[in-house]
Amino acid sequence: MSGYLFWGLIGLVLLGGGLFLHFRYPVGSRGRTGLKWAFRALILAVVTIFLNYSMPSHDVVRITNTYNRLTTVSWENAWAYASPDTGTAESATTRDIRFIDAAYADGSVVVYRNEDTGWVWPPYFKYDSSNLQAEAQNFKSTKETAEWVMVTRYGWRFPFLSIYPNAIKMMPVAGPDVTFIPWVNIIILTALALLALMIRRMWIQFRERMVDPVVADAGDILEGIDARADAAHAEARGQWGRLMAWFGTWMKKPRP
Amino acid sequence: MIAFIRLAVLAFLGLSVLYLLVATYSRSVRRESLEKEWDANPPEGKGDAERSVFIKDGMDGYEHGLKKRLLWLVFIIPMVLMAVIVYMIDFQ
Repeated sequence: MSGYLFWGLIGLVLLGGGLFLHFRYPVGSRGRTGLKWAFRALILAVVTIFLNYSMPSHDVVRITNTYNRLTTVSWENAWAYASPDTGTAESATTRDIRFIDAAYADGSVVVYRNEDTGWVWPPYFKYDSSNLQAEAQNFKSTKETAEWVMVTRYGWRFPFLSIYPNAIKMMPVAGPDVTFIPWVNIIILTALALLALMIRRMWIQFRERMVDPVVADAGDILEGIDARADAAHAEARGQWGRLMAWFGTWMKKPRP
Repeated sequence: MIAFIRLAVLAFLGLSVLYLLVATYSRSVRRESLEKEWDANPPEGKGDAERSVFIKDGMDGYEHGLKKRLLWLVFIIPMVLMAVIVYMIDFQ
């Protein structure tokens, strides 16, 4: 099974399920409110997981080993590796990937991959993997003479998928208990929240200025001058019906 | 290199769409506030024709104002951000 087939099937299942639920619980039915909230929760979960994967995190660790390893990347984990044209990943299936082994203060371990992200997602624009590998090599230390470094990385470690977080930067720190305020994450999340609010306001403005007057017009013609019937009509048609009514004004159809 | 060109082209297209959306929104907000300004306190004996002229004048002022020019930040901020990230990640 190839990746396209797998993700395509997932897309089809989601689309089919969405359509089924849409017609199973039509607008105004009892289950619709629950469906709406379930859909919102799903979107929130997807966004959270996506951000959790691609935003930077910081580990304070001791570097224990650095090496290259021929690694087979297949369709189920290719999404967690560099795309084939970034420079450190010439082949789509078998690659020589740089890895960095490290240990936390409590003795648990972590394995980073060290690949360029290139000019694609996630937007770290990292193309100095070789330098990072040399730095890691230089920070290598033993338990007795531990040198602590803070590694900036993104991604997850899932052993059953054979995926590794990608190390982005490392810098020496005083000890394993150093406190760190993630300013970059705070700024990114604030900016995203502001962006979401902006999109919401733009949508509201668009509806208020472009869609609602059209719906009111159409309602006047359809329902005569009964304003109450008009409002009820617009409400019943919902968000989608209003938008379609606005698109309808592009068509210059002769109105009834 | 191809990847960089692809990014540049896609980013340009995406940001252009964003620019058009934000510009439309900003213009719409300006027009609405002009309409409200007139409607809240309509001068004595002036009708719809004067209202249109008032709004048109206001919109002409907007088209040449600072706010309209600040919309170019839609292109500039992401490019500056990208340059800063490249510097922080690769040159420090």
